[in-house]
Amino acid sequence: MDWILDFYNYRVVVQYLPEFVRGLGATAWISLVALVLALTIGTIVAVMRMSHNPILWRVAAGYVQTIRSTPLLIQIYLIYFTLPALPLLDRRLDELEGGIIALGLNAGAFMSEIIRAGIESISKGQNEAAQSVGMTYLQRMRYVVLPQAFARVAPPLLGQTAVLIKDSSLVSFIGVFELFGAGLVILNERLMPNEGFLTVAACYLVIYTLMLQVSVYAQRRLGGTATV
Amino acid sequence: MYDVIKSTMPFLLEGLWITFQLSIITIFCGSLLGAVIGMLRTVDSRLIKYPLGIYIHTLRGTPFLIHLYFVYFMLPAIGVSWLQFEAYTAAIIALSLYTSTYVAEIIRGAIEAVPRGQGEAARATGMTAMQSMWYVVLPQAVKMMIPPMGGIYVMIIKGTSIVSVIGIAELVRAGEHATQRHPKELMVIYGMTALLYFVYCYPVLRLARWAETKYGSVRLPS
Repeated sequence: MDWILDFYNYRVVVQYLPEFVRGLGATAWISLVALVLALTIGTIVAVMRMSHNPILWRVAAGYVQTIRSTPLLIQIYLIYFTLPALPLLDRRLDELEGGIIALGLNAGAFMSEIIRAGIESISKGQNEAAQSVGMTYLQRMRYVVLPQAFARVAPPLLGQTAVLIKDSSLVSFIGVFELFGAGLVILNERLMPNEGFLTVAACYLVIYTLMLQVSVYAQRRLGGTATV
Repeated sequence: MYDVIKSTMPFLLEGLWITFQLSIITIFCGSLLGAVIGMLRTVDSRLIKYPLGIYIHTLRGTPFLIHLYFVYFMLPAIGVSWLQFEAYTAAIIALSLYTSTYVAEIIRGAIEAVPRGQGEAARATGMTAMQSMWYVVLPQAVKMMIPPMGGIYVMIIKGTSIVSVIGIAELVRAGEHATQRHPKELMVIYGMTALLYFVYCYPVLRLARWAETKYGSVRLPS
């Protein structure tokens, strides 16, 4: 049994278990807040992108293209280091806020494309019927179009959420403690990369598998394609 | 601000050059590996299908940062001498493995999008499985791969930013060095770094979209 302890000393992992639990909780919290942010941004940007007003759709398109063409790491650095320099805020952002905002803005761009595809897939008749019973634009979106659109694109949105959870490991670069950070703690304190990163990898894999299952379930219940 | 741009630009461009090299080498190695895996995935054998499925899902289910640390920190700890990679090699290996999983799915999707009758007809004329794949199925599949491969290429370019963590002097690292020289100009320097990435990635995305309208695309798990 010694060779197992040489390669992967589970006793050390057990000893650091509280760190991993804390990291897992932090990753879940960061992802959840970023997801809410991303869905909000994604919906607004998707609707803006489909507007006939050239200013609105150009701003939305520029935002999506910029996010898609630059690495998340640079987005995190830009937001964490330079947002406080803007006079809008009179205080520094802490790492957690900066990381969550960057993740939300990043995922929001990708989700807006998915949501737009969902809205476009809803037949025009739905919108026109809602209009004919006298609903305003916001009511039509809120009660008729968006519920159907979200049901249709729920599986790819879940897939993007899985990407968001993986990407949340990058906020460890600006010093946020999360799941990956828990692995770094073992690397730094014990110089044991295997114990740290194999455990972290296993945790991410479990999360990913869960997301995959949820995506398949959503596909079966709501229709559409399962994607992770 | 103009002074800062003028004094840091040469270093950032040097970083961009390294990013460019990394991404070119990676798209080549990753596509090669991915093509083999993707074609093997279309073979009707559980013994081949399942291990490759596990490979793909394991790499997709974990962050790239983990792959990088695995190749750079954990493989050397095993103690086999040829597994002791230096940073540059480790980065290319990790990036290529990561890329291969996406390329494999694209290739499989494209091959499966070619109507079955094509391959069967080729086999009926007496071609071997390899010949039917090479002369009949792949030529039809390749066109559909162009748009998603553009997306993969952009993903690699963005992925190279992460290898800065093991000390490779690519664009993000060059930006970090520049910020140490001009600590008050963070916004300008990181803004320029982002701009350089944009200049590199955006044309690729546009090209991919153009190819999509021209050749059509594969339906893919995103």
